[in-house]
Amino acid sequence: MDLENLLHKWLNGTATPEEVTQLKASPEYASYLEISAATAHLKTPEVASDQNYKAIASQLQPKNNVRKLFPVRNLLKIAAVLAIFVVGYLYVDSLDTTIHSQIAKKETFTLPDSSEVALNANSTITYNKNNWNSQRTLNLQGEAYFKVTKGNTFSVKTPLGTVTVLGTQFNVFSRDKQFNITCYEGLVSVAYNDTLIKLPAGSQLSIENNTLIKHANAFAPFPSWTANESSFENADLAAVLEELERQYPIQLTATFSNANRRFTGSFTHTDLTLALKSICDPLQLAFTIEDERVTIYANKSQ
Amino acid sequence: MDSLEDICKEATFKKVYNTYNKEVWRFIYYKCGNTAQADDLVQDAFIKLWQNCAKTPLAKAKSFLYTITNNAFLNEIAHKKVVLKHAKAQPNRINSESPEYVFEEKEFNQKIENAIANLTEGQRTAFLLNRIEGKKYAEIATLLDISVKAVEKRMSQALASLRKEIGNV
Repeated sequence: MDLENLLHKWLNGTATPEEVTQLKASPEYASYLEISAATAHLKTPEVASDQNYKAIASQLQPKNNVRKLFPVRNLLKIAAVLAIFVVGYLYVDSLDTTIHSQIAKKETFTLPDSSEVALNANSTITYNKNNWNSQRTLNLQGEAYFKVTKGNTFSVKTPLGTVTVLGTQFNVFSRDKQFNITCYEGLVSVAYNDTLIKLPAGSQLSIENNTLIKHANAFAPFPSWTANESSFENADLAAVLEELERQYPIQLTATFSNANRRFTGSFTHTDLTLALKSICDPLQLAFTIEDERVTIYANKSQ
Repeated sequence: MDSLEDICKEATFKKVYNTYNKEVWRFIYYKCGNTAQADDLVQDAFIKLWQNCAKTPLAKAKSFLYTITNNAFLNEIAHKKVVLKHAKAQPNRINSESPEYVFEEKEFNQKIENAIANLTEGQRTAFLLNRIEGKKYAEIATLLDISVKAVEKRMSQALASLRKEIGNV
């Protein structure tokens, strides 16, 4: 084996004593061994281990607090918040719209198809604006006047029956057992129980205690209440006084015995004293007003 | 991963540091010959190990440290002459020898120091890793990312260069 390989073998610490002797026989390799052996005794400076670790440790602390980032987790958070907003919006959006008029207040508003609705005092309309254009249906409790734009079937549902039109002006009154429909323009069909009644312009249908009364009503182009006046024709006085209570925030007490009187005429919605006079004078009744308490009694002097 | 092997745990990290910091420090020192630079590079290497603790298994920590310091050295450190301080060197022959011989011995060592300082960085690192650290050729080859043949060549060149400077002893 040549000496160079033996030298590497020796440097790697695997040379046999014979091989060392062999190397030492050559002056050149003997000096290599000498130099190598002397180098092995050289000392390197002391390593300042502790000092270095202090320098390192000062940089380790922040790393301990670093949490592994999950971009997906953050995305999920954002998605959850968005989902809450979207679901919340859709839920609110899908809710029915309710419009209610207080006592002594009237509401006028426009439906999504620009049909106009006038809501008389103490009445409620509920409808869903989302599918309005495909299904024009609303629920009514009380009294309202509709100016319907031409289009799909327009239905007004009341506890007593359903009024269906295609495009017209009509008034619906539905309180307790009283159900009045007045058509001012076009043609209205009224579904009551199992009967379907066609109501032409200028006519009125009254259903009172399951009795159908159909009569012409050509005197007005629109319901008088929309002009702040309530009109009655041969109406039960009790119904007239109920209407009065809806138009004025009053507590009404009637002390006269014969309540089964009929009333034909009208009263205004803007002046209580005038309205009471309009009702009481023709029927020979008297009244007193104390704050919001109104008492109507028989006028005994006459 | 076993928690004992998780370098992200400070106790494990400290253990790795205690095991390797000195040899890594000397490795850099053989290359640059400057204690302050060796300190800096060791600190940087261990901080990098900490930052990459999640990606580095315990078994790869050693080679990670060597690779980092080696690269940092190549990138940043101006090559300087290495003067090994060996004031505490204790040649084993000193006890029984005559004062005359002791003087010769010192002179001889002085010559070796100077000669080593004049080696190329590659030769010196390989030579000192073998001579002082007692590392086998195969290990040196791995640490320096070169072949065993290249280590042999560097060793031969280093010895030839040293002998030329010191002269036949």
